[in-house]
Amino acid sequence: MAPEEIDRFYRALRNTNLATMETLVKEYIEKRVSPIIILNEGMIGAMGIIGQEFKASKIWVPEVLLAARNMNRGIEILKPELLREKTPSKGKFVIGTVKGDIHDIGKNLVTMIMTGAGYEVIDLGIDVPKDRFLEVISKDHPDIVGLSALLTTTMLEMKVLVKAIRQAFSNPPKVIVGGAPVTQKFADEIQADGYAEDAVRAVELANRLLSKGG
Amino acid sequence: MENCQPSTPKRRFLSGLFGGRKGDRISVANPTSIVSVELMEKTGVYFPEAHLDPSKMSELAAAGYEILGFDSIMPEFSVQQEAEALGCVVDWGSPTMMPDAKTHPVKEVEDLTIPDNILEKPSMAVLLRALEILKRTYGDHVAIAGKVMGPWTISYHLCGVQDFLIWTLTEPEKVKELLHRLKEVSIAFANAQFRAGADAVVIADHATGDLVSPKAYQDFLLPVHQEMNQRIGGPTILHICGNCSDRLRLFVEAGFDGYHFEWQVDAKMAVQVVNHEMSLVGNIANKDVLFGGTPEDVYKQARYSIEAGVDILAPECAVPLQTPIANLKAIVEAAKEGYSKMSC
Repeated sequence: MAPEEIDRFYRALRNTNLATMETLVKEYIEKRVSPIIILNEGMIGAMGIIGQEFKASKIWVPEVLLAARNMNRGIEILKPELLREKTPSKGKFVIGTVKGDIHDIGKNLVTMIMTGAGYEVIDLGIDVPKDRFLEVISKDHPDIVGLSALLTTTMLEMKVLVKAIRQAFSNPPKVIVGGAPVTQKFADEIQADGYAEDAVRAVELANRLLSKGG
Repeated sequence: MENCQPSTPKRRFLSGLFGGRKGDRISVANPTSIVSVELMEKTGVYFPEAHLDPSKMSELAAAGYEILGFDSIMPEFSVQQEAEALGCVVDWGSPTMMPDAKTHPVKEVEDLTIPDNILEKPSMAVLLRALEILKRTYGDHVAIAGKVMGPWTISYHLCGVQDFLIWTLTEPEKVKELLHRLKEVSIAFANAQFRAGADAVVIADHATGDLVSPKAYQDFLLPVHQEMNQRIGGPTILHICGNCSDRLRLFVEAGFDGYHFEWQVDAKMAVQVVNHEMSLVGNIANKDVLFGGTPEDVYKQARYSIEAGVDILAPECAVPLQTPIANLKAIVEAAKEGYSKMSC
């Protein structure tokens, strides 16, 4: 996709009118552009720009939430086409806000952006107890599990979970952590497989972990 | 030569809040909650009862002065008192969990109903009664601080943070109308708290640098805060957590007497930027220092803030419930050393 085409997707992500994205995706489907190209180069390409701008503090959380909302709508329209193409998922990702914590903006952003990036995401919601994580891991065999927490008190639950997941499975999924109080240092201390500061970096981290083949 | 005679907690606090005479040492106060599980065990008063019963609320709050040695007593521990009065279903939590709104009933401006008797709603009246008790018992020597949520924070609870933030882009007029109407709740509650005995009222309005731009603050909240500061009769302290380094001048412009800030905002920079046009209250880090550090770590940060020239020393935000008492006391100990070895 040419840069000016990606720019159209970028502008659709920034637009407060949901119809802009709807019209754009329909136009590309009608032009018979492969849905994988529309998703990967158009929407995810443009979302990458949003992520960079967010990192550079050129835009703020409302703009990212809006972009995620618009992207979700685009994916909804694209979904029947994608199913027809049978695109392989990049990997399976389970995410939840840990027990005792009910904050979900960050988790929802990660869910939306990971979905957009081609991962199959199972979102367990908020206040998720340890046993629920273990149950879903044993049933769905995710490649990566993402743990979210906003509170300094609940982030300690992450330590419990990292240990429990490793004990319960002989071939455990990668466990990554994030949330306002979480730092790389904390992630290292609790021996998580990775830490990401925001949703865009979570995708980069997931890609990196899975490309290592381990 | 400066007067270095020992002062009283109340004088020290008020002097700091108005950037006045420095006395022998900096005031230590808590614009946000300093309740911890240990403090609940020592007083025998626990969450969630302390959020809803005035005598329990005042007893637990007073522990901040009695046990920790702070100069202020601030009895509002949660951010949900207004939310429940305005129709959110609130889970009042437990000794280890802060309350939280479970429902967000406002989708349109029309969904918002402000009851005429809102100050009599149990979750709001409790604070007024607690302030009256505290005033009677401690009002002659300790600073009594009240707290209200500003219209931005109340909107988070009523509408849900995610929806409200998106509306700032998609439906800015709706956001302005909500803020316009909800500021009346904050103003009425703040003035009632002064009548009940508060010496200062904290206005918590979380348009934080972690979520929105300085321009969003300027466009949506600055005029609202300016009006609030005109119509609230006593001293106000703004509390907005997160990194707000880029909007300190806007808070000055809004007319607050003080700003309660986080460790992420460098105290030296803040003192320079604010230039004594508003007092600075802060900013010992919660997670790494008060909760996760040692009394020595607390001491170092406290001394940094004192030497940077903040006006009142305080934890940066409501402390985590598992914060050790020894770390909270270390703030007071650091303050007791005075401004510097040379000054007195």
